[in-house]
Amino acid sequence: MPGPTTALPITIRGLTKKFGSLHALDSVDLDVKSGEFLTLLGPSGSGKTTLLMAIAGFNRPDSGSILFGEKEMILAPPHLREVGMVFQNYALFPHMSVAENVAFPLKLRKIAKAECEQRVEEALNTVQLSELGNRRIDQLSGGQRQRVALARAFVFQPRILLMDEPLSALDKKLREQMQIELKHLHRKLGVTTVYVTHDQREALTMSDRIAVINHGRLQQVDTPEVIYNQPANSFVADFIGESTMLPLKTEENNQLYFDHILVDSVPDQKSSQDWMLVVRPERLFPLSQESIDSDQHLIFKGKVIESVYQGETAFAQVSISEDHQLTVRFGTDASARKFLLEPGDSMELGLNRKDIILIPR
Amino acid sequence: MLLHEKELRRQTFLEQWNLLSLSLPSILVIILIIIVPVGWLFYLSFTGKGGDFSLANYEKMITYKSYARVFMTTFQVSFLTTLVCILMGYPLAYFMAQLSDRMAAVCMLTVLLPFWTSLLVRTYAWLVLLQKKGILNDFAIEIGLWETPIKLVHNLTGTLIGMAHIMLPFLVLPLYGAMKRIEKDMTHAAANLGATPIQVFWKVFFPLSLPGLVAGSLIVFVLCLGFYVTPAVLGGGRVVMVATQITAILENQFNWGAASSLGVVLLASTLLILVLAARFLKLDQVLFGRH
Amino acid sequence: MIDKVFKPLWIGILSISLLAFSFQTASAEPITVVSWGGSYGKAQDRALFTDASNHSGIAINRESGASMTKTCLQVQSGSVTWDLVVTGSGGAAAAAADGCLEKIDYSVVDVSDFYPGLYTDYCVGSDVFATVMAWNTDKYGEPGSPGAPSSWADFWDVKKFPGTRAYRANNVDGALEPALMADGVPPEKVYEVLATPEGKRRAINKIRELKPHIAVFWGSGAQQAQLMKDAEVDMSTGWNGRFDNAKKDGAKVGYTFNQALLDYDCFAMPKGAPNKEVAMRFLAEVSKPQYQANLPFYITYGPTNRKAYEMTKAPKELIESLPSHPKNVPLMLPVSLDWYAKHKNEALELYMELMSE
Repeated sequence: MPGPTTALPITIRGLTKKFGSLHALDSVDLDVKSGEFLTLLGPSGSGKTTLLMAIAGFNRPDSGSILFGEKEMILAPPHLREVGMVFQNYALFPHMSVAENVAFPLKLRKIAKAECEQRVEEALNTVQLSELGNRRIDQLSGGQRQRVALARAFVFQPRILLMDEPLSALDKKLREQMQIELKHLHRKLGVTTVYVTHDQREALTMSDRIAVINHGRLQQVDTPEVIYNQPANSFVADFIGESTMLPLKTEENNQLYFDHILVDSVPDQKSSQDWMLVVRPERLFPLSQESIDSDQHLIFKGKVIESVYQGETAFAQVSISEDHQLTVRFGTDASARKFLLEPGDSMELGLNRKDIILIPR
Repeated sequence: MLLHEKELRRQTFLEQWNLLSLSLPSILVIILIIIVPVGWLFYLSFTGKGGDFSLANYEKMITYKSYARVFMTTFQVSFLTTLVCILMGYPLAYFMAQLSDRMAAVCMLTVLLPFWTSLLVRTYAWLVLLQKKGILNDFAIEIGLWETPIKLVHNLTGTLIGMAHIMLPFLVLPLYGAMKRIEKDMTHAAANLGATPIQVFWKVFFPLSLPGLVAGSLIVFVLCLGFYVTPAVLGGGRVVMVATQITAILENQFNWGAASSLGVVLLASTLLILVLAARFLKLDQVLFGRH
Repeated sequence: MIDKVFKPLWIGILSISLLAFSFQTASAEPITVVSWGGSYGKAQDRALFTDASNHSGIAINRESGASMTKTCLQVQSGSVTWDLVVTGSGGAAAAAADGCLEKIDYSVVDVSDFYPGLYTDYCVGSDVFATVMAWNTDKYGEPGSPGAPSSWADFWDVKKFPGTRAYRANNVDGALEPALMADGVPPEKVYEVLATPEGKRRAINKIRELKPHIAVFWGSGAQQAQLMKDAEVDMSTGWNGRFDNAKKDGAKVGYTFNQALLDYDCFAMPKGAPNKEVAMRFLAEVSKPQYQANLPFYITYGPTNRKAYEMTKAPKELIESLPSHPKNVPLMLPVSLDWYAKHKNEALELYMELMSE
């Protein structure tokens, strides 16, 4: 499969779209780097699909700019934008066979029959469907349809590929398999890809960078690791991964405390805002008899409310004060089995100070 | 005997029986009002005036040229009416499918409005509009569009206008339904893949609306075959369809057998056309999405 | 409160039952008399039925939509509800041939003063009408004026009388005779010629010759009147009474009795009529001249009973305009029931061939 000559960067500036008084997109600035896999992540109604549709040209923003490379595309009709797109429900044409669907964009570009056939075959090969060219669409399984939609989207060698929750209709196992395949395909094609999902795990799995969006505004744009370990605000912290947030008290000496436990010093001395501690369940660990260094760890003491066994991991909810509880996740190997306690039992939890995440309240 | 096997099987049986007994009254009504009369029609067509078995009614259809011609006219008028309905109804349904649900409902109301007036009234209204000294001719001559009255009624033209007006909703309703079922993503996908708006329409939207178009056209065509009042009033005696011929035979000859035989031939040829259409248009695929 | 609701309810129920009861007593033995709608049926109600019912004390149910087809359907399905049915003479003859009609009891119905040929074993003439040629008087002049059309040959002559024509649709009654007369067959020879296959073909061919000029084929008397009123056609065949009524409504229409077809409507009784004897007595009553004498006031169809002419108080001009008036009868060709009985089926098939071309 010959890749595109060059992948194109996308530059979005001040993109605004209102539905009535509701801001679907509120002055969005976003740079998608050439060849990168960027995921738009947000809950439903956050504006992520509106943004994708604006890039594809299916809706008309109120104002703003969308550049593909150096070229302004905001006024271009969808059929001139040369972006491949995979739709949530695949949008395969039921009156055409698999091969006809994939050949559709090639025929529109008046590509000679022989070359057309060859490229369709290559595309189907790439998605491992070379045997099914003559099938009708409704004879395919969900996963197969997904692959056809993919092949159709990249067969005409677009320099930008858009995907709108393409895996949401698949069952969990197939979805996870396709995530890997998509990532693999992206590496192979090297095409700039904008991927929309509401599934944070999917976003973490696949993306070079993630753009978290809510209420039409970008909350944070960064690599999965940074997004997870240094969420910019409580929305990002809450939306990505599991977390418990503990409100902190600022003392005179710029020290932050939770319930007499010294947590950290205020990271940003200039602002006078309050801070919260974000605790990821897997970063907590139950303490056994051996003592640990409280200089390097925070230690929470509490009582087990519930403990749940989930196969590869288990978790326990632990009440650490009247108003607050923490969730701790731990392994289920033989040495950790002892942490599966009954409700009411006391438990001590440790958190490495390096794993402390502070966000403004 | 396995545990409770008999009782469980009995429950299944009772459930099926309950379902059947629910539909039984309607099945009986269908038999009573459709199967029995059609059977009687069939029987009558093979009897002479004395009630004995006879093929005279069918022989007559070969002897006299009027019968073949009347069937030709019937199919021709039905076909042309369907064509007119398609040409007017498709853009209308397309327009409605683009509107918001609220506006589409208003539009649908105006399409359905003819249903609230009697067929006879509508037909005579067309007569008043279209005749030699009718409103349309008077107006056109007044503003100098043409000088002498144009013959718009008492011929095929008038018949087609009247019939298309009556039949239009039967085409628009299923067509509009089919168009509404076409997902927006389909046309988006086509545009995204490089299709101009015209290409989007012809390569994706139109093929996907075909089931509705075929269903509507068939309904219109089949309903047209039995038309009586409209061609009688607006055709000026020049458009003789099967129903007209049946009436003529009944009123002049009291010959139920002869009239029945026309009904039987019309029914048979309609079924034949449907079967052929099913064959060549792959109707089952188009209508039910089977393969 | 309860009283307020129930009182009107009680009164309602009571009055409905009283009403039902009164209907029952008034129509102890009502007979069902069926005629046509429009000006024809209305004229019969005013001139014949109401008075005859009052004088004889025989209650009647009046229905519209008379048809020999439906009569035969009632008889053949064994559910006869009609007692007396108005029909054209030809229709009565055909229905009688199919065994759908009762024989008239002429010991009850007195036809001694009837014109000959206006009653048969199965029907009693009610009025005499003519199938005439009518035209737009603005276009071709008043009847009798110089240059006005006066014969079927004129009807066919589109050079002398350029314009559009209307002719009968899908029914052969009175359709072939004018064509033969236009083709030069003398009136008294028309049925003789029509009895042969060549004669029928000759008539059909003559109509075919005119067909390009026939703008409309009419299907009913009401349509004849409407076509002339709207000036949709310039010349039409049709029934004289309908044209007179159209003229009363302001239509520019005139007609001639010359070469017209003289025909009559009659009362027939379905076989197995539910009130056969009472209906026969009513038929006798309604056939009396004093009722027929009033008919011309409502429609210009002539009495079948000679004595009605003596009794009528209608003005001379009106009387002389009736088809059965002795002054007019000699101008016309009486319709041959015999020919229709023998040749109508065949003639209709040929006519439908022409229609369907």
